[in-house]
Amino acid sequence: MLRFILADLGRLKAGSFVVVLLIALAVALGTGVTLQERALRLGSARAADRFDLVIGAPGSETQLVLSTVFLQPAALPLVPGEVLAGLQDDPRVAWAAPVGFGDFHRGHPVVGTTTRLIAETAPGFAGGRMFAAEGEAVIGARVDLALGDGITPTHGEIGHDHDEVRYRVVGRLEPTGTPWDRAILVPIQAVWHVHGMEAGHGEEAHDHAEEDHDHDHGHAGFDPDAPLAEDWHDGETPDVPAILVKPASIADAYRLRQDYRVEEGTLAIFPAEVLTNLYGTLGDARQVLAAVAAAAQGLVAAALLLVTITHVGQRRRQIGALRALGAPRGAIFALVWSELFALIACGVALGLVLGWLAARLLSRMIADRQGFDLPVELAAADFAGLGLLLAAAALLAALPAWMAYRQSPVASLRGQA
Amino acid sequence: MPDLHLSGIQVLFPGLDAPALHIPELTLPAGGRLAVAGPSGSGKSTLVNVIAGLERPSRGRVLWGGTDIAALSESARDRWRGANIGLVMQDFHLFPGLSALENVLLPARLARVADRAMADRAGELLAEVGLTRPGQKVETLSRGEMQRVAVARALLRQPGVIVADEPTASLDPANAAALGALLDGLAQRTGATLIVVSHDPGLIARLPRRIALAGGLIRDDTERAA
Ligand SMILES: Nc1ncnc2c1ncn2[C@@H]1O[C@H](COP(=O)(O)OP(=O)(O)OP(=O)(O)O)[C@@H](O)[C@H]1O
Ligand SMILES: [Mg+2]
Repeated sequence: MLRFILADLGRLKAGSFVVVLLIALAVALGTGVTLQERALRLGSARAADRFDLVIGAPGSETQLVLSTVFLQPAALPLVPGEVLAGLQDDPRVAWAAPVGFGDFHRGHPVVGTTTRLIAETAPGFAGGRMFAAEGEAVIGARVDLALGDGITPTHGEIGHDHDEVRYRVVGRLEPTGTPWDRAILVPIQAVWHVHGMEAGHGEEAHDHAEEDHDHDHGHAGFDPDAPLAEDWHDGETPDVPAILVKPASIADAYRLRQDYRVEEGTLAIFPAEVLTNLYGTLGDARQVLAAVAAAAQGLVAAALLLVTITHVGQRRRQIGALRALGAPRGAIFALVWSELFALIACGVALGLVLGWLAARLLSRMIADRQGFDLPVELAAADFAGLGLLLAAAALLAALPAWMAYRQSPVASLRGQA
Repeated sequence: MPDLHLSGIQVLFPGLDAPALHIPELTLPAGGRLAVAGPSGSGKSTLVNVIAGLERPSRGRVLWGGTDIAALSESARDRWRGANIGLVMQDFHLFPGLSALENVLLPARLARVADRAMADRAGELLAEVGLTRPGQKVETLSRGEMQRVAVARALLRQPGVIVADEPTASLDPANAAALGALLDGLAQRTGATLIVVSHDPGLIARLPRRIALAGGLIRDDTERAA
């Protein structure tokens, strides 16, 4: 029986190949969409994981998340320094750290922050140590620099150089699989000094990421050997684009968000929640894609049905002859069914592999460009979906098989060709 | 080996006023060898199809031994036919891509009755019908060889009845004569009942009994003295 099926498929090589390919493409489309969407969700959830609460100036919540979690360059409005000082002394706060953006080095964002934030959020050092002076920098795992290298930041991605400013790389972090792996971390105080920011004069350095923002500042305050001061006091702390806050408890997190939302001049968000809302909007797009994939699969199924029914019709004589010669009709059903199901199963298997590879490839490309991992993972639901697909295939294959089963054996002895 | 007894057979086809076949009574003892002749459209194929259980008559009984195969269900008739009838058709109905030996074994395999002994028997039968290369792909055989493979296939399960519908019609005279002799010889050797539809006078002359059909009726039934 197997020999017969193989011989039969062997005679229909080209047709079988096209059928398998069609099925594979339709399945790959569906698989790719599902896997990639899940990868995006997992990857960004992982990236947002370390940021419980983010406080910024009023504006777009989404932009605040994109800038802090994904380090996407954008002009953020600034939060007054007093907010940072206030948070530091708040008993509901485990720790709070400012982040300052705007400078770049060879496409890598230079992010000003504190030793506390690095210690709390990074998995550890792959080499070197924490920065301890204003002119020292710690690099993420995906930054292509060596310990001891010097860095001159540019203002904006292709802006002017901060010529007199030079950081020295003193440490490299373990990978986190987030966009922060592409960041160069420097003391926030250095960022303030480089941009000539002082308490109460923050507006001067507004709109950091705007490329041709022609502010004149002399980097006068930048001193590479100055010790770090990470205690913030009212009236002495310059403004910052965003503050990452680790609340002492979950209840505190909600209370803090409430307070800083109501309070004039700030915006407090849970990045995970903002992302969830964002997915809500993206979800519609996903549904459209999923519907397109489902429609493609439906079309392929319909085409396949048409082809096989025609095919069975063309082979009435052959099928009838087998019966006339003593093959039971159950065997005929099994023959047609297995041949068709084998083709479909091949297509589905190939499609799964193709879809998975495509998702992997896309994730790799995104990881290289954005520095953050989109883990392509199979979930239990995929196997349920696979089971469903194969069940549908089994049913689909049963229809032509049933037609062959019903075929009268006399047909083989009558009529020509 | 069963006797054949037809009684009150009528086959009606939609669109035809008169029955395509009407046979009040026909008997053929086990081991009998019968030729069926008659002009085209006279109902020869319809008759052998009814006898082989391929076509169910509209009326009447087809008794093989004690079994009325006209009353059997479709699958029961499949099973009965597989076990009792060896069929040879005008078109050989061999399956390309498979060897001669595989073709001989295919129906038995699909019926799940093929075993080692049957595979050996298939080889012997191919040798007996004069095929020297059982592993040869059927699409490369000559037409005479193809019909020999079909004969070997018909005999594989040692059927009590061999039914052949114009087995020599698509062969040249030399091959036709050889195949007629082969069929007749095999039937005599195995003691099987042989029913052959043919226009071929040489083949008809071989068989001791001959019926002639016309318009679905038996016009003539002659038995030659042995
Ligand atoms: N399925 C069918 N539907 C309608 N008419 C049919 C059908 N099968 C056979 N017939 C008719 O029955 C008659 C007998 O047909 P049959 O095939 O038995 O003739 P035959 O003697 O075998 O002819 P030939 O020598 O040409 O093979 C013909 O008139 C044919 O048209
Ligand atoms: Mg005929």
